[in-house]
Amino acid sequence: MTERLADLHDDVGEILLDEATISAKVQELGSRISADYAGQQLTLVSVLKGSLPFMADLMRAIEIPVRIDLMEVSSYGGTATESSGLVRILKDLSASIADEHVLIVEDIIDTGLTLNYLIRYLRGKAPATLRICTLLDKPARRLVEIPVDYRGFTIPDQFVVGYGLDYGELYRNLRYVGVLKPEVYTEVAVG
Amino acid sequence: MAGFAHASEAEMSRILDFYAVRWEYEPHTFPILWNLEGDVVESFSPDFYLPDLDLYLELTTLRQKLVRKKNRKLRRLRELYPDLNIKLFYARDFRALMLKYGKLALFDGLSGTSGQVSQPALAATTREPTLDVDPVPAAAPSATAQARSARSAGRRPPVRSAGTKPSAT
Repeated sequence: MTERLADLHDDVGEILLDEATISAKVQELGSRISADYAGQQLTLVSVLKGSLPFMADLMRAIEIPVRIDLMEVSSYGGTATESSGLVRILKDLSASIADEHVLIVEDIIDTGLTLNYLIRYLRGKAPATLRICTLLDKPARRLVEIPVDYRGFTIPDQFVVGYGLDYGELYRNLRYVGVLKPEVYTEVAVG
Repeated sequence: MAGFAHASEAEMSRILDFYAVRWEYEPHTFPILWNLEGDVVESFSPDFYLPDLDLYLELTTLRQKLVRKKNRKLRRLRELYPDLNIKLFYARDFRALMLKYGKLALFDGLSGTSGQVSQPALAATTREPTLDVDPVPAAAPSATAQARSARSAGRRPPVRSAGTKPSAT
């Protein structure tokens, strides 16, 4: 079990996006969003847990008034999977988004399955508009094509951690996005 | 009622169910080679059809060097049915999916096999997960449109399958 932050760094084989690169991109996205939604009431919906750091930085890079809300859905393979076999809303929005302009803030889009579900769910709440902002886009294994309105980085087909992204609930607090060494998860699978 | 041919297909069906994506198991068979008499001598039946996405999905957990035959058939399929929306999941893709969902050990028990289930096959036909909101509209032409496209190009439309798995896929 990795216990120290230094050990977490050792598990990363390559830094894909360093702190400065991420910060510059977040500022750029914030500026674009501020311009696009100028004069409108915008609600940012963060999808827990992975998008927390991105949400925290992005909302401060946006220069118009915004409301924020949080959602969490169960992931396949998690403990909720075994009991129901269906995705569950673990935390729903705390306020109505009817007739609001809503921007979903995601850490990464991979297969698109989770986001596809969320889009359908949130459309049922009748927002005025519903758009997508993701820090990372990994299109290699995309099953559901999602129209992404704001994209930070398109990344290669590698298992990445850091800046909110986890493996086994660890590595979220790394300030960069890095590629996890294969032996880290191979050892776990074998062990 | 047909069963899945491989445990990876059963696992994919559970993933699709989990995320409320409707799927059909091998609903269409596409002829890809005919003899001089016009009889179909080779066909391709993608594992899944996702009607809301108008997407066919083919899984293979075979080792990469054994995938050549499947790749050849897929190229032929795309030549004959260019409007067909199909995605091939290789072993490495399925492994990455299992890693993402914390089920890598499951993959390691499947990889490189001839594609047969080692456990009792799950029942498989068509599933419609429940969802209390409107589904996302399909962004691509429907399967019917694909069939029409194939006909208009002088090719034969996909053959309806009764849920059986052609041995060549």
